[in-house]
Amino acid sequence: MVTIPYPNVLLDALEIGVMIIDENFEVRYWNQWLEINTSHLASEMIGKNLHDFYPQIDYKVLARKIRTTLRLESPTFYDASVQNRFIEIPRTKITTSLLMNMQLQVTISPYIVEDGLVMVSIYDISDLHELKLTLQSQMKKISELNSELHRDKMIIDANLLIVKMDEECKIIEATAAFLDFFGYQPESVIGNYLPRIFGEVSVDFDTIQICDAIARHQKSSGEVKAILASGEEVWFDTVVTPLNDDESDTVSYTVIFHDISDKKRIELLSITDPLTKLFNRHKFNEVFENMVLRRHWDEHRTFGLIIADVDHFKRVNDTFGHQSGDRVLIEVAHIFSQTIRTGDILARWGGEEFVCLLPDVDREKALYVAEKLRLAVEQLHFPDVGTITSSFGVTIFASGDTQESMMHRADLSLYKAKENGRNRVEYL
Amino acid sequence: MQQNGFTDDHLDMLRELMNIAMGNATASIADLLEAFGKMHIPQILISDMEGLASYIQQTISIDQRNYVTKQLFGGMFSGEFLFVISEESALHLGHHLYDVDNPSDGDILDAVIELTNILSATMISRLTEELNTKVQFFVPSTELINGNALISQEDIMNYHRIIIISTQMEFEHQNINGHIFILTKDGMIESLKALIDRKLEELYA
Repeated sequence: MVTIPYPNVLLDALEIGVMIIDENFEVRYWNQWLEINTSHLASEMIGKNLHDFYPQIDYKVLARKIRTTLRLESPTFYDASVQNRFIEIPRTKITTSLLMNMQLQVTISPYIVEDGLVMVSIYDISDLHELKLTLQSQMKKISELNSELHRDKMIIDANLLIVKMDEECKIIEATAAFLDFFGYQPESVIGNYLPRIFGEVSVDFDTIQICDAIARHQKSSGEVKAILASGEEVWFDTVVTPLNDDESDTVSYTVIFHDISDKKRIELLSITDPLTKLFNRHKFNEVFENMVLRRHWDEHRTFGLIIADVDHFKRVNDTFGHQSGDRVLIEVAHIFSQTIRTGDILARWGGEEFVCLLPDVDREKALYVAEKLRLAVEQLHFPDVGTITSSFGVTIFASGDTQESMMHRADLSLYKAKENGRNRVEYL
Repeated sequence: MQQNGFTDDHLDMLRELMNIAMGNATASIADLLEAFGKMHIPQILISDMEGLASYIQQTISIDQRNYVTKQLFGGMFSGEFLFVISEESALHLGHHLYDVDNPSDGDILDAVIELTNILSATMISRLTEELNTKVQFFVPSTELINGNALISQEDIMNYHRIIIISTQMEFEHQNINGHIFILTKDGMIESLKALIDRKLEELYA
């Protein structure tokens, strides 16, 4: 075995603090690391009592640890997770201020047992402890974020109608709100196809646009109407969003159903005539304006405008009362709705006047529709009022026309029909 | 009967050595901490990680918080020394060692470390001394955990062959009791078997 001639050099070269003390805490050795980090020179420490320099140490505990070390001839340790249980050594790290003093790990090892000497090794584990503190702080933040996420998820689950689907439109997850709204059990939804699910409760739910968006791997949104099995009509604003994995491959899709039935009802009220349930004048003007502004009309492809007026309506009101008058208007509106084509725009213009836009018609077709309407009204029979008639003014869009010019011509036609004896159709 | 290469002779010898080691530990604690107690007959079994987790769950109550101190030891016989003490027992221990009514968290942690030091040093040192081999102790670490989940789910899935040596320590007067587990795995099992073989040869030579 090689005898080390200069053990002091070795101990001074160590990047740990090393002191040798006896059972009465008298310092016998104080290495260079301790000199540098405690600002106490070996010359002032050796031969002195540790207590004179570090009175804050719990010497009862230290004595017990030294006794254990010597008696068992085995190292004992201070708990490394609590700061400054031994001596305080200020830390000079500038860039972080988590620890003002070094976090120490202290090991007491037997040195010369028969002389009651132990070696106290002091390791600076501040960096490690700092990492631990940072990690704990990050973990706390993560835990808080997780709690927030969980809370948000609970709110979403309870309030938002959301399903998560795969590329085949098969449902992977559904919120409790979704299940509750449609009256589903989770087992009947998860793993099932969306069109099939809606087929069971809805007689009219167009899932095609949702599944199309999924097939195209695109984000999409739109309004869809569902008529539930109970007969209730529900409108949804749906948003389909692809969810990508880390490699940007789309793996699933969320579909959010936002119930916009109330909004739709308000929207409908704002464009509907309350008595006849036809479009009101405001909505008609909006559609009329859009139609006039379209640039693709020409002499072969144009549209017509009809103004209808119930003949002698004032007399009906004056003779049979306003309730009878209202019933006449409701029935006329109903028979007009039944008679016009899908795509024609019918509205109550005001009083006993109705207007109708006829896309893609020529003069003959417009006159034909107006004549059909006239005949339909003529055939109505009211128990109190009896029969009624109506007059019609018809015109066709011509190049350079405006909304006002067309209305003016239709008005003149109607006036002509009235002048020529009523219950007739005139054209200008 | 053989248990993973351990014969009944091996197990008897290990049990005997543990009895000596535990007697040593009890005496040292009485001397150094002025606490007089007893240790139960050690259980020795060979298991895998799942078996260890299950054994710990059976041994340690789930309804309490526990200070768990883990200390590694190295050498021909190396492994992990585990000392588990309930929060209540640890408080009594802190009270006993620090002689204060309300020991601080730091006092309690240091007291637990101190008791673990004595237990590991006496038991492992004596065991390795009997087996004629050296041991190196590493710095212990203590944490306070809820219940008995001492092993993470990920670690339970690992496959290791483990020798579990466990005993219970009781100090009736101080109302302190704890569980001790000495764990060693894989290659160390062979190493321990070789050390015991050598010891048997010495005894019966």
